[in-house]
Amino acid sequence: MPEVLRDSQGSKHYLINLNVNGDTYTLAVKGNALLVNVLRDWLDFTGTKKGCELGDCGSCTVLIDGKPVNSCMVLAVEAEGHEITTIEGVSPSDKLDRLQESFIANAAIQCGYCTPGMILAGKALLTHNPHPTEMEVREAISGNLCRCTGYVNIVKAILAVADENPPEGGESA
Amino acid sequence: MYLPDFDYYAPPDLVEACQLVREFGNSAKILAGGTDLLHKMKHTELAPEAVISLKKLSELKGIRYLPGQGVIIGALTTQNELADSPLLHRKYRSVCEAAHNMANNQIRHIGTVGGNIVNAVPSADLPPILMVLGAKVKLVNIDGERTVPLDEFFLGVHQTIRRDDEILTEIEIPDQKTTGSTSIRFGLRKSGALAVAGAAVAVEMDGETCRSARIVLAAAAPVPMRARAAERLITGQQITPDLLEQAGAAAARESNPRDSIRGSAEYRRDLIRILTRRALHKAITEGHV
Amino acid sequence: MNDGYNVIGKSVGRIDGKVKVTGQAKYTGDLRFPGMLVGKILTSPYAHARILSIDTSEAEKLPGVKAVITHKDVPSLKYGISPARWDENIFCIEKVLFVGDKIAAVAAVDEETVYKALKLIKVEYEVLPAVLDPLKAMDEDTPWLHAEYPHNINTEIHQDFGNVEKAFAESFHVRTDRFVGQRAYQSPIEPHSAISMWDGDKLTVYSSTQSPHYFQYYIARQFGLPMGNVRVLKTYIGGGFGGKLEPTGLEFAGAALAKITGRPVRMFYDRHEMFAHNRGRHRQYMELKTGVDKDGKILGVYANFLMDGGAYTSLGVASAYYAGALLTIPYDFANYRFDMYRVYTNLPACGAQRGHGHPQPRFAFESHMDNIAHDLRLDPIELRLRNARKPGTITPNEFKVNSCALEAAVEKARAISNWDEKRNNLPKGRGIGIGLGAFVSGAGYPIYRTNLPHAAAIIKVNEDGSSATLYTGAVDIGQGSDTVLCQMAAEAMGYTFEKMTIVSADTEAAPHDFGAYASRQTLMSGAAVKQAGEDVKKQLLELAAPSLGINVAELDCRDEVIYVKKSPEQQRTFAEVAREFFVKKGPLVGKGSYTPPKLGGKFKGAAVGTSPAYSFAAQVTEVAVDPETGEVNVLEAWDVHDCGKVINPALLHAQVHGAFFMGMGESVWEEVLFDENGKILNANLSDYRVPTALDMPQFHSELVDSYEPNAPWGVKEVGEGATTPTMGSIANAIYHASGVRIKSLPISPEKIWRALKEQREE
Repeated sequence: MPEVLRDSQGSKHYLINLNVNGDTYTLAVKGNALLVNVLRDWLDFTGTKKGCELGDCGSCTVLIDGKPVNSCMVLAVEAEGHEITTIEGVSPSDKLDRLQESFIANAAIQCGYCTPGMILAGKALLTHNPHPTEMEVREAISGNLCRCTGYVNIVKAILAVADENPPEGGESA
Repeated sequence: MYLPDFDYYAPPDLVEACQLVREFGNSAKILAGGTDLLHKMKHTELAPEAVISLKKLSELKGIRYLPGQGVIIGALTTQNELADSPLLHRKYRSVCEAAHNMANNQIRHIGTVGGNIVNAVPSADLPPILMVLGAKVKLVNIDGERTVPLDEFFLGVHQTIRRDDEILTEIEIPDQKTTGSTSIRFGLRKSGALAVAGAAVAVEMDGETCRSARIVLAAAAPVPMRARAAERLITGQQITPDLLEQAGAAAARESNPRDSIRGSAEYRRDLIRILTRRALHKAITEGHV
Repeated sequence: MNDGYNVIGKSVGRIDGKVKVTGQAKYTGDLRFPGMLVGKILTSPYAHARILSIDTSEAEKLPGVKAVITHKDVPSLKYGISPARWDENIFCIEKVLFVGDKIAAVAAVDEETVYKALKLIKVEYEVLPAVLDPLKAMDEDTPWLHAEYPHNINTEIHQDFGNVEKAFAESFHVRTDRFVGQRAYQSPIEPHSAISMWDGDKLTVYSSTQSPHYFQYYIARQFGLPMGNVRVLKTYIGGGFGGKLEPTGLEFAGAALAKITGRPVRMFYDRHEMFAHNRGRHRQYMELKTGVDKDGKILGVYANFLMDGGAYTSLGVASAYYAGALLTIPYDFANYRFDMYRVYTNLPACGAQRGHGHPQPRFAFESHMDNIAHDLRLDPIELRLRNARKPGTITPNEFKVNSCALEAAVEKARAISNWDEKRNNLPKGRGIGIGLGAFVSGAGYPIYRTNLPHAAAIIKVNEDGSSATLYTGAVDIGQGSDTVLCQMAAEAMGYTFEKMTIVSADTEAAPHDFGAYASRQTLMSGAAVKQAGEDVKKQLLELAAPSLGINVAELDCRDEVIYVKKSPEQQRTFAEVAREFFVKKGPLVGKGSYTPPKLGGKFKGAAVGTSPAYSFAAQVTEVAVDPETGEVNVLEAWDVHDCGKVINPALLHAQVHGAFFMGMGESVWEEVLFDENGKILNANLSDYRVPTALDMPQFHSELVDSYEPNAPWGVKEVGEGATTPTMGSIANAIYHASGVRIKSLPISPEKIWRALKEQREE
């Protein structure tokens, strides 16, 4: 149970350590603080977007322990003790991740608002399933709404990276 | 949107959790995955004084098989863990499929099987398939525990027999003689759409004869609903396409769907007929799928 | 240099690709300014009510609240986007006219406080009877929403070209069909937001807008400021589709709150509020009557429409005109009559959504055409080919169509979809259908009357020639205009795309442009950019000519090399000459602007639908329909487009994907629903069903050769036109698959189920 602090009005704040993109941030948050707001407003990870705030659109997708979840449906206090990855953590350097490059190369971006969530959903899929079928790709991003692309090039971009992955038992084995 | 204020508790073990829920009674809400709870709190349908998180209770996680008893599913098992469980795939793939087809990928990574049951909405995806498989739920409070058939768990929309001081800890699918089970949902979009209607069935077949059948309908009544007339119609009978059509029609007759923005009662009733027939056919011919 | 171009015609990666894939791209809601407050608007819970009192005292007392404002604190001048009908106030003064109408606003230190403060504002209402049924809005005993608009008639159109009655009398077959298009909503994934801040009497507004210009114009007008004192700039925009074309309460209320508090104020809508603010697609009732000769040649068309405008005008005057005006484009016929009423109701106002006013009439007409083909026992494609517009023709409502490769598009769609085989041999429950479409490549006239050019551009070359910056008022809302315009600039300058940077849609830093609507930017902004690029090139060549000892006419520049045309080995680099230019003459700047030629006829409303060029499309869709449940599976779709010369093929096809996707959603899934009190029932993305990746079919986007003489490099539009054929194409495929003709959108499973049931019971 996180340590409890009280503000001048008596409201409780909980002292948590959030691990985001490999760094630990110590914060005192209220119980009702949502992960998406803490990431955006406190830590300036504004690549995590807000689209619906009800878990319907997927634009606030982050990875928690490698799994894509809607950060608008997670309490910040509940995220303590887990590894959180936002879009800013997908590539550790100026060099883009292959999936990011593939989104550009395949014209899979338009307005870009769903893009961070799409890339994270795609990353999560490729991590546990390096050779997904087209149907598996569509399923993996079915919680991410895009209004611009009809998903055509997004599916293509994810599949393109899957095709590059060495086959199982191949050179990486 | 924002969440109303509340005090947050994350008890380290079940005993402490039970103490807290006893202490707060109905002024607290239990947080499992939170996909339903936070939804309602954002719409200010609920504003609990305290939220008691179960996240630290590792004993409520995981799926295991107890020989001679059945499959035990921890209440905190997420819907995607259910969908991807090798154990369940071997024994009751139908449960995996039901979990896989619900909500959307992100929500399934957070939402839990326990939460989906306790939330008690008519369109919930997991209760029907679990009910046809004769699942029981374990309810624990500070004084002890009781195991209740899921069949008897639901009382109405958002109403169950769970008392405010009880925590649903696990779901048991007992060993059984059923030969097939399945559930079919009808949603208005292929992902992220609540079921307009659904039918789950489990059958025990002996050649062409149906020894026993359980049928549970989703979004057909205030609670997941046993279609007993339809069950009676096929139990002990030689299965024919005509009989399945009759069973579908019987399920439709005994259902009591309501009009909503997702479909008229009339449409839903006919969907129930179609889905029940299709589900029966699938479970009879394809096993636990 | 295959086609003689170095930069255009190539699928270069988006100029904003990297910032968008890394999360660095800042949208308005991502910006942070010191001391910034958060603001929100309180809206009406009633569809029609008199405001008796507003008590803000409790809200003001809440710690963290910095200001609460109502109509008393802001100008009472009426505004709107259509100057013919200014009918909105920043906050309601006497009455609220829909659930969601604006009453007050709060600025506070954070989101949570703002939401809590809104709940503390007490408003007393006297609830009035609401007008919710557009078909009854004009009835004698129906109350009027606006005293200035008797019988709730917002817009009334009666246009008559040729002699329709005579055409019907001479027809071999006359058919009448009635259709209904639903209320749909743009649903960009980024909710609207705006940040306002003052420096003395100078206002800066960052907004998720499709048109900084119109925002600047209307904000300045509202607050009585010179336009030069209002700077509007957009950040990255998370989609618009028409919904972000007009100023919302966020800009006006935000500016007022920022003035009072002396701090920047970030205003935003959440998803529910976006639906309530709306400005999406109108609900339209469409009766079509068409007469054809025995070969199916259309002799005359009568379109008798009514649209539900909601509580305010928004862009609805134009929507109403567009609904009928563009029906004359894809098919060639001489006699045409169009009647339209746009009525007020106590529902959220409707406006412009992708394809502005036209996709639903197109759905109606394409369904109607299929019915006529059925009546005449003609293949639907055959009937369309017999009527397809040809290049160099003029429509009955006096739109001049220059380039038009519609016939080729139809033939290609027929071939690549394997239409002839499928139309007759698909199994039960499967069907294939076609729809045609067309759209303007920019509106011939701006939204308010002005003689400003439609677009302007400046290119400044860096002092050492190593980069160049394009300054344009054009707005990239995701469609890729920043990329395409930089390609055009580089081509015109003889430069390379990779060295271009862009400053766009900032009313202070960039020159005027009307913005992203009416599919106008590739042609209109592009024309200005081309001229600016050529201006740069001309200045460079003039400087270089003496040094190469040759007449300037003998020189050209491509790919950063200035060379003698007849002996290309004689050359100098762009950078070297550019640097020399700066040393000798000062900044190297190119300028361009674009004003369309005078277009259209003289009749009332003749301006709407005029355009320098029209795009054309044929779409074929294959579907499966479950004969029991009515479930629709869209399996595969083919779009063939005539969109002139293509600047960036990858971005162009991506536009087609998205346009089809939006039309598909409206065909089967999407509809904004209200209860009997005018409250929205599905103001979320769960029950307003934007299709998911699992719903999107296999999709093929193809082109036919086309060149538009009226446009830079022969370009035309694609972004909106590609939505226009979709609903008809899908409707016709569903009819082919199921045997039932659903005449109202969306063609939901339940409607199909009901129609099939009725058909069986007949």
